[in-house]
Amino acid sequence: MSGSNNPTAVSAVVGERLLFGRRSGRLSALIPPLIMPLFIAVFATYLAVGIATMEIPEGTAFPGPQFFPAIIMGGLYLFAVLLVISAVREWRAPAEDDDADDATEATTSTLVTRHVGMDWVSFAWVVGSVLVFALTLHYIGWVVGAALLFWCVARGFGERRPVASLVVGLTVSSLTYIAFDMGLGLSLPSGILGGGF
Amino acid sequence: MESLQLLAEGFAGALSLENLVWVVVGCLLGTAVGVMPGLGSSMAVALLLPVTFSLEPTAAFIMFAGVYFGGLFGDSTMGILMNTPGQASAIASTFEGHKMAKQGRAAQALATAAIGAFIGGFVASVLVVFLAPALADFSSQFGPAEFFALAVFAFVATSSVVTDSPVKGLASLFLGLGIAVIGIDGVSGAPRFTMGSPNLFAGVSLVTVTVAVLALGEVIYVACLERHREGGTMIRPSGRPWLSRKELREAAPAWARGTVIGLPFGIVPAGGSEIPTFLAYGLEKKLDGRRKKPMFGKGAIRGLAAPEAAGNSTTGMAMGALLALGLPISATAAIMLAAFRQYGLQPGPLLFERAPDLVWALLASFFIAMIVLLILNLPFAMLWAKLLLIPRPYLYAGITVLCTLGIYATSGEVFDLLLLLGIGIVGFIMRAVDFPLAPLIIGMVLGPVAETGLRDAAMSSNGDFSILVQSPISITLYAVLLLVIGLTAWNRIAARRKERVGA
Repeated sequence: MSGSNNPTAVSAVVGERLLFGRRSGRLSALIPPLIMPLFIAVFATYLAVGIATMEIPEGTAFPGPQFFPAIIMGGLYLFAVLLVISAVREWRAPAEDDDADDATEATTSTLVTRHVGMDWVSFAWVVGSVLVFALTLHYIGWVVGAALLFWCVARGFGERRPVASLVVGLTVSSLTYIAFDMGLGLSLPSGILGGGF
Repeated sequence: MESLQLLAEGFAGALSLENLVWVVVGCLLGTAVGVMPGLGSSMAVALLLPVTFSLEPTAAFIMFAGVYFGGLFGDSTMGILMNTPGQASAIASTFEGHKMAKQGRAAQALATAAIGAFIGGFVASVLVVFLAPALADFSSQFGPAEFFALAVFAFVATSSVVTDSPVKGLASLFLGLGIAVIGIDGVSGAPRFTMGSPNLFAGVSLVTVTVAVLALGEVIYVACLERHREGGTMIRPSGRPWLSRKELREAAPAWARGTVIGLPFGIVPAGGSEIPTFLAYGLEKKLDGRRKKPMFGKGAIRGLAAPEAAGNSTTGMAMGALLALGLPISATAAIMLAAFRQYGLQPGPLLFERAPDLVWALLASFFIAMIVLLILNLPFAMLWAKLLLIPRPYLYAGITVLCTLGIYATSGEVFDLLLLLGIGIVGFIMRAVDFPLAPLIIGMVLGPVAETGLRDAAMSSNGDFSILVQSPISITLYAVLLLVIGLTAWNRIAARRKERVGA
C-alpha cells in the first residue's frame, strides 16, 4: 500500500518515498539503522536503574510497582538486540532489489524511492529555535517569542523573504494571543510587552 | 426504543446555540486541516487537545467530533486536485478521482467524495447509536483479566499486524509502554523513574507525547528530509459542483457497497481506514471489469465513491468502539481517549451510565457535524482548495507555534516545552528510520489499562497468573488474536513465496 510504517503521516504518502541515509555497503550506512536500537537500549537501562533503586512502600502485594516495568525493560532489550541483528544483516547483504522496489512502487502508487542525506542546517534552525524559544519565553513573552519562533522555522524551511515572514509571524502570534489568552482564558506570558496589556 | 428517546434528548442538548457554534468551528477546522497538506486528523486533534481544556467537556467533544469527521471530508481534496493524497485513507480515492479532475470533472469528483463521506459517516453513526449501548452492556461484564486481554489484543494488532516489521512495531509499542510507567504508581504510591524530579511525579503527559511525536517530529522530518521533493501542480476545479441524476444513479451502489465494507473495520484494531478503502476500491474495480464498457482508468465515478464511503463508515464505527469499549483502533481515536481521561471520564461500559448527557449529546453532534460538513463541502469545495496555496514554510512554522502553544498552555512549565522538543526529536528519528508511531501512542494510552488489569487480576488470585485465561471472554479474545496472527503470518509467507517465484 503506502510502503511506509506511518501511513497516516502525510509525508509518508505525498510525493516520493525518501530513505534516510546513504546506500548500503559502506560502514557509514550502518549508522542510521543503529540509532533506534541504541536509544531503546539506553531507555531500557534507565528503566533498569529505576527498578533497582525504586523505593517501595511496605506491605505492597506481589505484582508490585516493579513487575510491569520489568517486563517492558526485558522486551526493550530483546527488541534492541533483534534490531541490531537485522541492521547488520541488511548492511552485509547489499540491497540489489532497490530498483525492483522502485518499479513496483511506481505501478501501485505515485511514490518513488529516493535516498537523501540529512539537512543539518534545517535541523539546526528548527530544533535550535524551539530550544531558545522554550528557554526565553518567560522573559520575552508570547507575542515576540512566538513570532521569532515562526520566523526561524520558516527560515529552516527555506523561506527567503525575512520581512514578509516576520510580518506573518507577528500576525500569527498576536492572533493566537488574542484568541487563547484573552478569548479562552489560557495564560500565556506577556513578557516585555506586559506593561501594555 | 430507548436509544431513540435518549438520542432525542442528546439532540436537545447538542442543539443549543453555544454547542452549535462549536460544531461549526470544529467542522471548519477539521475540513481546513483535512485539505491542507501536512496535516492529518490525528495531528489536528493532538494540536487542539490542549487548547480545548478550558472548554466544558460537552462543548470540547462536540468540537472534536467536527474535527474528527471534517478531516475525512477534506483529505481527498488534495488527492483529487493534485494527485497527492493527504492521508493514507485517501490514496484509494486518488486513482480515479484525479483522473476525473484531469478530464475537467474536478468539481463533480469533489462532490462525489463529499457525498460518499456523508453517506458512510451517517450510516455508521446510526449503527453506533443502536449498537454502542448494547456493546457497553456486554463489556460491563469485563473484569481486570478481560481488560488485560483487550489491551493485549490492541497492542498486538496495531504493532504487528498493520506494520511491515513486527520488531519495529513492538519496539515502538514498548517505548510507549515504558513512557507510560513513569510517574507515581497508582496502586502502591511508589514514585517510579522520576529521578526525584517533581516535574515527573504526575508522569509524562500523553498530550506532550502525541504533540511531540505526531506534530513536532513531523515538522522536523519534513524540514530535514522530506522537503527535498518535487511538488505537484494543482488542477483548478471549475464547472458545476453537483451531480446529474445519471451520475447519482451511477455512484449510488458504490456508495452503499463502500459503506458496508467500511463498517466492520471500525471495531477491529487494524489501523483505521486504510485497509477498507483499498478493499472497496478493489471490489469496484472487479465489478467494473465485468461491465460492457469498463470505466476504470478513465475516471470512474464508482472508483471514487466507494473508498470515500468506506473510509468514513470505518471512522464512524471507530467512535462506537471507543465509547463503548474504551478501545482505540487508531492514533486519532487514542488521542480522543486521552481527551476523555483529561476530563476524568473513562470511555467504556460505565461511560453510558455515568455521563449519559455527554455521550448522547456527542452522538447527536455526529449527525449535526455530518450535515454541517456536507453543507460546507458540497458548494464550497473550490474555496477550500485555495488553502493548498499556503506556502509550506508558513504552514509548518504555524504548526510549530501551535505545538508550543498547546503544551505551554496546559502546563505553564518550561520543562514541558523541553520535554516536547526531546520527544519530538525521538519522533523525528523514528519517522526517518521508518518506525511506526501509532503503536507508541496506543501503548501509552492502554499501558496503564494493561498494567492495572494485570496486577488487579493477579492480586485477586494471590499471584496466580492462570486467572488471565479462565473466563470465556478472555479465552475468546486470545483465540481470535491467535487466528489473526496466524492469518497475517500465512499471508506474509505466501507473499514472499510469490515474490521468489516471480523473481
